[in-house]
Amino acid sequence: MKFLRLSNSKKETAPPLLLFQITPREKAALLAVLQLFPVLDASHHQFTNPPQPARAAEQRLLQESMSQLQDAHQRKLDQLFRGEEQFFPVSRGELRMALTAAQLEWLLQVLNDIRVGSWVRLGCPDLADGAHLKLSGSNAHALYAMHVCGEFQSIFLEAVT
Amino acid sequence: MGQATAPITAPDIGQEEETRSKELPDRGYLVVCWNDPVNLMDYVTHVFQTVFRWPRAKAQKHMLQVHHSGKSVLVRETFEKAEHYVHQLHSYTLHATMEKDE
Repeated sequence: MKFLRLSNSKKETAPPLLLFQITPREKAALLAVLQLFPVLDASHHQFTNPPQPARAAEQRLLQESMSQLQDAHQRKLDQLFRGEEQFFPVSRGELRMALTAAQLEWLLQVLNDIRVGSWVRLGCPDLADGAHLKLSGSNAHALYAMHVCGEFQSIFLEAVT
Repeated sequence: MGQATAPITAPDIGQEEETRSKELPDRGYLVVCWNDPVNLMDYVTHVFQTVFRWPRAKAQKHMLQVHHSGKSVLVRETFEKAEHYVHQLHSYTLHATMEKDE
């Protein structure tokens, strides 16, 4: 997948669209990984470091707020990828994906939820520091999801910067 | 004309100033972002730019501080604003916390 350009929408009042070139295989990988959402457990979010009993109310509020946000993201995801409107073919084996800046922004959040959640399921390894993972049938998909999300995030970030 | 009026008393300026100083918001809460080996550097920079409306150079400076020093104090704010920022940063799955600046 790669970012092509910012394109004005056909409707004058509609926001401009960010256009991406994407292959059917990449599209399948993106949709497959998005189906994993949500991955991160609400207990991951900590208001203070270390946790403080005096801040229990704020801690609870933060976790509730993040759970509600996940629900909202889920509804948006269902809406956005329910049909095929985001994707349109331009040639054999090549598609375009169109997203508004706002859609791209929450898609970044969704992908990072999957990425960080998968990393937590792997035991929070520092892969850049040469941490070795004992891969098994149960955790290999988490490593795959983490990397796929990272790839899509990098391309989306390129588009917004 | 010539109606009796209540005696004029000068305002107690000292008292007013005391009240005003009490109303000053306590901007003694720090928003801290912690390093982790999973969030992409460009992603963290983008989040700082989006949440705080910082220019890219400032966002990058704080991102590098998180990366190299393990954490960065992002802003010093009132309790409510600091809490709001912590929620915003968590919505992007960054590890951000709030602490009182002692």
